[in-house]
Amino acid sequence: MTDVEIMDKAKSLFGDKIVEMTNPAARRIFIKVEPQNLVPLIAGLRRDLNITYVATISGVDLGESFEILYHFGHEHGSLTVRTQVPRTNPHVESICSVIPGAIFYERELQDMFGMIVDHIPDPRPLILPDDWPASNFPLRKDWKYERPPEIIPGGKK
Amino acid sequence: MLDRLVRWSRIKSPWILHLNSGACNACDIEVVAALTPRFDVERLGVLLKATPRHADVIIATGPVTRQIKDRIVRIYEQTPDPKFVIAVGACAMSGCVYRGAYNIMGGLDQVIPVNVYVPGCPARPDAILDGVVKLLGTL
Amino acid sequence: MKFTIPIGPQHPALKEPISLRMTVDGEVIRDADIRLGYNHRGLEKLAEEKTWIQNIYLTERICGICSHSHSTCYVQGVEKLMEITPPRRGNYIRYLVSELERIHSHLLWLGVAGHEAGFDSFFMYTWRDREVVMDILEMISGNRVHYAINTLGGVRRDLDEMQVKKSLDGIDILKKRSEYYFKIGANEPTFVARLARVGYLSKQQAIDLCAVGPTARASGVPRDVRKDDPHAVYDEVPFDVCTADTCDVLGRVVVRIKELMESYKICEFVLRNLPAGDIAVKAPRKAKPNEFLSRYEAPRGENTHYIKSNGSDKPERLKVRAPTLANYPATVDMLKNGFIADIPLIFAAIDPCICCAERTVELINGRTGEEKFVHFSELRKMAEDRFKKLPPKRNVEWPL
Repeated sequence: MTDVEIMDKAKSLFGDKIVEMTNPAARRIFIKVEPQNLVPLIAGLRRDLNITYVATISGVDLGESFEILYHFGHEHGSLTVRTQVPRTNPHVESICSVIPGAIFYERELQDMFGMIVDHIPDPRPLILPDDWPASNFPLRKDWKYERPPEIIPGGKK
Repeated sequence: MLDRLVRWSRIKSPWILHLNSGACNACDIEVVAALTPRFDVERLGVLLKATPRHADVIIATGPVTRQIKDRIVRIYEQTPDPKFVIAVGACAMSGCVYRGAYNIMGGLDQVIPVNVYVPGCPARPDAILDGVVKLLGTL
Repeated sequence: MKFTIPIGPQHPALKEPISLRMTVDGEVIRDADIRLGYNHRGLEKLAEEKTWIQNIYLTERICGICSHSHSTCYVQGVEKLMEITPPRRGNYIRYLVSELERIHSHLLWLGVAGHEAGFDSFFMYTWRDREVVMDILEMISGNRVHYAINTLGGVRRDLDEMQVKKSLDGIDILKKRSEYYFKIGANEPTFVARLARVGYLSKQQAIDLCAVGPTARASGVPRDVRKDDPHAVYDEVPFDVCTADTCDVLGRVVVRIKELMESYKICEFVLRNLPAGDIAVKAPRKAKPNEFLSRYEAPRGENTHYIKSNGSDKPERLKVRAPTLANYPATVDMLKNGFIADIPLIFAAIDPCICCAERTVELINGRTGEEKFVHFSELRKMAEDRFKKLPPKRNVEWPL
């Protein structure tokens, strides 16, 4: 199926949930939804269009809000579903009930941005070290790192 | 007399332990490639051991991440004296491209004392052998 | 009994820590759990402070075995953001190095698999052949690992007649040797029996848990970015997607061997049909605000980079997802109802790259609560002893 066919089918099936749909490059479709329609849309994609493979989940810090992108891959290209949550209330629903393989990516979102994924099956931190001070979220734009001065053995500083 | 014998055997056949502290694996593959038939370091008596308690020389690669810092110190203390540390690759020397990242402490010498530095990104197997030989020459 | 096993390296020399905790009942694993983070270097934050060109060298050093994959995936994405197209000759050279890297990575993995199964001669033979590929790569690019041949808009070095001829000779030698090994592997019943029915992952599980690469293809899921998303040279070069139906470690070995033979064919096609022309176009310093998702088939699976620009000469966001991370949920599933002695083999079968070499495995048994430390070499010896005592599995065939 080509891009246009997929876009038409998605529009006919889920037209009310989609806020915006673009096709900026060959085999790349971007769909924007509201956070409350996210899980029904993804369940619909899996059921009707057989799109089940989530490549990764990216988070972007846009200042006033966080944008979360769910990248899906299928036999004819890739499809991305994006949603925005406000910075003061960063809650998003987990999609692990539809696609169990997304658990690691959601844990990473929690670690790096401080977003809270509701109903996540496993909320432990994923990659930050054990002695990391809490509520320090490295990928937020306002978090800066000051490197402590190094001591070079046998040399000047 | 016994001292001289022990020192001779230590120079002629050092046993190494390979330690990776968060590296990208390139230097590690070059260390393993030194065992393969092309560079063949075992003909010189160098044996790769899996446990720190049998090793004379620690060959370490990679910049040191915060999570593994304590484990490296523990491994260093488990190795029996006299022990030597070789830091292989630009990452172990000073952090290579990762200098300034929030999870990196810098080079290996921020955590344990180092005897020999082997530069390169990654260091060729010949260079690693050269480093080991230079270390043994100072014994 | 509570077992705490620090399984050191998956190979005596490759060490990168990952912590696995498993609940055990006798010798059978009931539940598994993974702790990552020992190898986390804060790369995505660092990438936001470097320019587009400096990031090429940064993404190369994410991994040493598949360094060209990360670099190419990034450069593909940035070229789309800047709306420049590299010339055909540049593209051919870039993907020639990709296929050579795939060959070297699969030969490396075959050696490691042989070593885990106890077949050390296989390990030495395949790594000796890997040196042939390293020589070709060093002749083309100047270094054995971290080739640094990509630049924004094309490649940095060109191939001349003598290099093309030497590469073709090298690939001929490799083809003959590879066919000889695979005959040996097919006729070696203990090797085949050691790998069969270990690490089972059914097709539905592979789809649900989003497995990638040879791990998914060995379960019959024909997922390959080179066919799903053909870009640059892959819509001109003829090749097949290799799958197997056995869903276990033996299937993964077979898939990688088939891919090795396909890569030889692709390399020969590219070398014989190199178009003439330039190797690079000039790239602008800044990129307009845009975003792009770049996908690439690394030797281990699908590599995904999401790049966003905001009009300056530094990226706004670079998100990297390496293929091994996508295979972890599938690995946890494979370890359940497996044996302790199979842990190194199952883990090596997904071809761990980024966060995988030194693993601390903690086995916790629900019943008693005893703790015991076992070293990795002891674990491998346990595995070998156990398999010497078992009767050989009959009726196991080499499904090539």
